[in-house]
Amino acid sequence: MWWLVGVVGVIVLVATYLTWTASRVDRLHTRAATSARALDAHLVRRAAAAAVLAEEAAIPDLYAAARSALDADPDEREAAENDLTRQLRKISLSAEDPATAGVVGASRRVGLTRQVHNDMVRDALAVRRRPLVRLLGLTRRHPRPAYFDVDDPTLDPPSG
Amino acid sequence: MRVGIVCPYSLDVPGGVQNHVRDLAGTLIGMGHEVSVLAPADEDATHPPFVVPAGRAVPVRYNGSVARLSFGPISAARVRRWIEHGDFDVLHVHEPGTPSLSLLAVMSARGPVVATFHTAMPRSRAMAVAQGILQLVLERISGRIAVSALARKVQVEHLGGGAVEIPNGVSVARFATASPLPGWPGEGGTIGFLGRFTEPRKGFPVLVSAFVALAATRPKLRLLVAGPGDPSDLLAGVPAAIRARIEFLGLVSEEMKARMLRSVDVYVAPNTGGESFGMILTEAMAAGTPVVASDLDAFRRVLDGGEAGVLFPTGDADALGAVLGRLLDDPDRRAALAGRASQVVAGYDWPVVAARVVEVYATAIEATEGIVLDELPDLG
Repeated sequence: MWWLVGVVGVIVLVATYLTWTASRVDRLHTRAATSARALDAHLVRRAAAAAVLAEEAAIPDLYAAARSALDADPDEREAAENDLTRQLRKISLSAEDPATAGVVGASRRVGLTRQVHNDMVRDALAVRRRPLVRLLGLTRRHPRPAYFDVDDPTLDPPSG
Repeated sequence: MRVGIVCPYSLDVPGGVQNHVRDLAGTLIGMGHEVSVLAPADEDATHPPFVVPAGRAVPVRYNGSVARLSFGPISAARVRRWIEHGDFDVLHVHEPGTPSLSLLAVMSARGPVVATFHTAMPRSRAMAVAQGILQLVLERISGRIAVSALARKVQVEHLGGGAVEIPNGVSVARFATASPLPGWPGEGGTIGFLGRFTEPRKGFPVLVSAFVALAATRPKLRLLVAGPGDPSDLLAGVPAAIRARIEFLGLVSEEMKARMLRSVDVYVAPNTGGESFGMILTEAMAAGTPVVASDLDAFRRVLDGGEAGVLFPTGDADALGAVLGRLLDDPDRRAALAGRASQVVAGYDWPVVAARVVEVYATAIEATEGIVLDELPDLG
């Protein structure tokens, strides 16, 4: 009789662990996906702010870079965003101009969001590598999250 | 924004993390946010109104010093209740790596969590063993802040993942307006030192030998020292003739600290290592006192590569003496250093630092909910 209690006990423990692992996998993937949405929104904001600045200051190269960042396909987006960062670093920033302040602020937020997103991707990828998770195919419902690999977009704050 | 802040160490004892939490909470409230601070504290002691005491803390030996922590089922229940009642937009925990209220809060949190790492703890065997458990804690944190480059390095190399470097804040106005102690700094020049002078890495002996050498030719030069410790340890190795020119204040309050920093002509930080940020330097800079510091990475950063204060080769008492001698004889140079320092320290003023912290809060909320918040206070 006691062996039955033992077996049931072990089954309950294993089931609890599996449920917990499955919900952990779900949670980490949901985090990576939501932070990707936030990052996307911030990148769009930065490109829009850069486009406004480019029109105001009449810098055609910057405008083109902002446009192609906005229109880029997912697989070209990192390169397009890096290009926009390079264009932004070329211009001299002045503290008084609201358009410039907008770009500096938006760039800083992109930097923060990118970092948080990449941390979340790292956590999700780490749990995907676990043998148990792979064996049971717990990640089947979730696409593999990807790092957003760009140069640090933070601009030096304007002086003066 | 409704912010819940968790401090792992008892507010009844002074300490860097505790001061940080208290100042941050006060500044955030001044900016219009709602803040509740959960910390180990005696219920009958007096605290600022935003503090929620989580009961008495137990002393635990950790990292070479005694930390007072709360940990266990009763603390866990209190943390859960506080989080439920608080209905916070974001939870901000400090030092979540140690078994503490912070760790409990991270494990019971449901919404966005931001964590600040203060110490630059070296990689230890205990940490390697706890890596699996630590990972469970870290993966519930959305935004990570490190208060120094060194603390950030530990984050990146040992724990994996990045961290935003946001320095410790300093209440510039409180230091800039403190009134000097009566009779100080006096005519013959005064050198200041604050800290645990018995601790070897604070480098106090380096300062003492430089002072002894200088005192021989400068009959009115004085040394003002504050910090915990026994005065007889302080004066060990000092010639009897000079002892009267060393004034010891003992352990000082925050208010006295500001007044003490305003009472000296030059502040010296002779540390030989181990300092991850150099809070005292920003405080001296805020007080308008020129700083002379060892050429450590952290100090060089705070002093803007030597523009906002003078650096000397770490541990070199002769070099320190030479630097001090020149500085004491040159009021114009002292004024120039103090002027540059006040520009630099403006970037460490609490309102500026807290605005950067709020940006991390916003990022954590956005990343957890997949939305973008409306405009935040502008940082310029």
